[in-house]
Amino acid sequence: MSELNQPAKEQESFRQAMGWLHTWGGLVASWALFTIFLTGTIGVFDEDITHWMKPEVTAVSDFDPAAMTEQQRVAAIKKAQAYLQAHASDSHFWRIGLPTETDPGIRVSWRDQQNAAQDTLLSLKTGEPMPVVENRETEGGHHFVHMHYEFHAGMAGIWFVGFFTMIMLVALISGIIIHKRIFKDFFTFRQNKGQRSWLDGHNASAVLTLPFQLMIAYTGLVIFLSIYMPAGVLANYSNPQQFFAELLDEPMHRPETGVHADVVDLSVLFQRAEVMMGKPGRFMSVEHPGDSSAVTKVFGWFDEKDYYGQLLRDEIGNVQFDATNGDVMNLNPPGEYDKGTPMAVQRVMRIMHFANFGGYSVRWLYFIMGMAGALMMATGAILFLVKRRQKSLNEFGAQTARVYRVIEVLNIAAISGLAVACIGYFWLNRLIPFDIADRAAWEIKGFFYLWLLMLVHSACRPATKAWLEQWSLFTLLALLLPVMNLITTGHWLVSYWQTGDWVSVGFELTVLVFGLMSLGLVLFLRRKLTATERYSQPAKPSEAIS
Amino acid sequence: MQLPYPIRIISLVLAATIGGYFLTSAVIIFLSAIVPMDKPDAIVASSLFSYAIYTAAVIWIFVVRDSKRAWLGMLIPTLMFGGAGLLISRMAS
Repeated sequence: MSELNQPAKEQESFRQAMGWLHTWGGLVASWALFTIFLTGTIGVFDEDITHWMKPEVTAVSDFDPAAMTEQQRVAAIKKAQAYLQAHASDSHFWRIGLPTETDPGIRVSWRDQQNAAQDTLLSLKTGEPMPVVENRETEGGHHFVHMHYEFHAGMAGIWFVGFFTMIMLVALISGIIIHKRIFKDFFTFRQNKGQRSWLDGHNASAVLTLPFQLMIAYTGLVIFLSIYMPAGVLANYSNPQQFFAELLDEPMHRPETGVHADVVDLSVLFQRAEVMMGKPGRFMSVEHPGDSSAVTKVFGWFDEKDYYGQLLRDEIGNVQFDATNGDVMNLNPPGEYDKGTPMAVQRVMRIMHFANFGGYSVRWLYFIMGMAGALMMATGAILFLVKRRQKSLNEFGAQTARVYRVIEVLNIAAISGLAVACIGYFWLNRLIPFDIADRAAWEIKGFFYLWLLMLVHSACRPATKAWLEQWSLFTLLALLLPVMNLITTGHWLVSYWQTGDWVSVGFELTVLVFGLMSLGLVLFLRRKLTATERYSQPAKPSEAIS
Repeated sequence: MQLPYPIRIISLVLAATIGGYFLTSAVIIFLSAIVPMDKPDAIVASSLFSYAIYTAAVIWIFVVRDSKRAWLGMLIPTLMFGGAGLLISRMAS
């Protein structure tokens, strides 16, 4: 850090400044960014992961949601309303979702008195919650998606992720500036050259994914534009709701009045909305049920496949009613997107981020790019230490060695520790008993405990051993996953293959591929470790991973 | 007068995160006042550029590497853009 503020030739000092910014900004953000990137990349396949994590649903899924008749849909809404009125009459928000492929029941959700989200799945036949043995409670793949944009920490998490994503933008731009030979570097990989190999790995994965990373960081920030950058709204509107109403050409959000008013029969409104939109409905929401300000919105049916190739998606359509008397407040017809150009730009950016515009080919492309991006962050964080191993740069005076050790522990916990926690999450899905209360929350808690355990482990062990042991654990958990699945549910790779459950086949094959790659890494680390021991050098921290 | 090194770094980081954020906000307010679109559209259009402006501000600060210049470089344009933006908005409405 001593290079800061030293006089040098203008050009060189500029590059040095960018080098400093890239090194330190990158390091400080690397652990959070690796987590965001890895979980976001896994989250690309959220629906497919959820499918594997709900084996009971797979077993009974001869149900085609698109083939529901109007009568069945109306009956489902009636059942949902009866349930919500009985169990969540004092809630501020209801949502009713009709069955989908992954959720073959009526999904009702609400916010309780503490404003915590609650939800349950109702049987289409009885209108009562489905028995847990037919539908294990789990967040499924959405856990990874939530992890990557809010760390399961609500608004605080969204700001946390936004903060680090800004550092990512800065690190990317400064990284490009310090790069002298961007294309040449892409084709350069010097194997077994210690620091050089790490640098080449970092550069190659960075150059390969650079446009993708700039896109994904920027579009990610744009999704939360109204949260992160409210200045324009605050400067022009005393009430932000007014802004959203004008922007979306919708009636203003009605504040709660505290005056009681019953919600009318929602199934009637649902039916009317279907007629107005000219298409079946898929889900509806009620704001402030039981209050005289209650508003309900019915949303049109959509099938993911209809949108393939559309970066600017058509509107699914929605109708808004006064829920206390059934008056129509607004119709947003389905069809071509008709809001202003800036909103269309934002919408395109969102869709680019969500990776759901082109089926599996686009998802796999995002998955590979995301993994390469995660690799770039991991190699960058490791490179920082490798560079300083031969010769400490003494940035922190007498504390330097201690700071390096902390960075080392965080590297291990953030990289291999997170990998173990992710694969462990799938094990928890099979091992946690069905009937435990808040089962879905326990799976996620288990994920965090496992991660914490890996942090403690990496703090207690010498670095090389910690890497080796954590990747060994990952290898075991990944390669044995199908076996464990067979024991706990009776399903596994082969039986999925026989029944033609290709999503589950793909899931387990992917896990196995990662298990094999990790096995390769473990064998490599072992060779390094024995080589180091043979020369009987005192094992310095992280010696063997270069 | 030279401040001790850690203080200088913290000052630069704060100028970048907080100063940069206020500068970005001020530029959004200015742009949304002059972009010839309906107000809500103009706000969204201006805000879409925000992260690019923010990134540029942070990079500039670490090129300058001087605490005083960094803070002045954030504060003065913030006041200018913010003031002009608010003034134009008020006059137009």
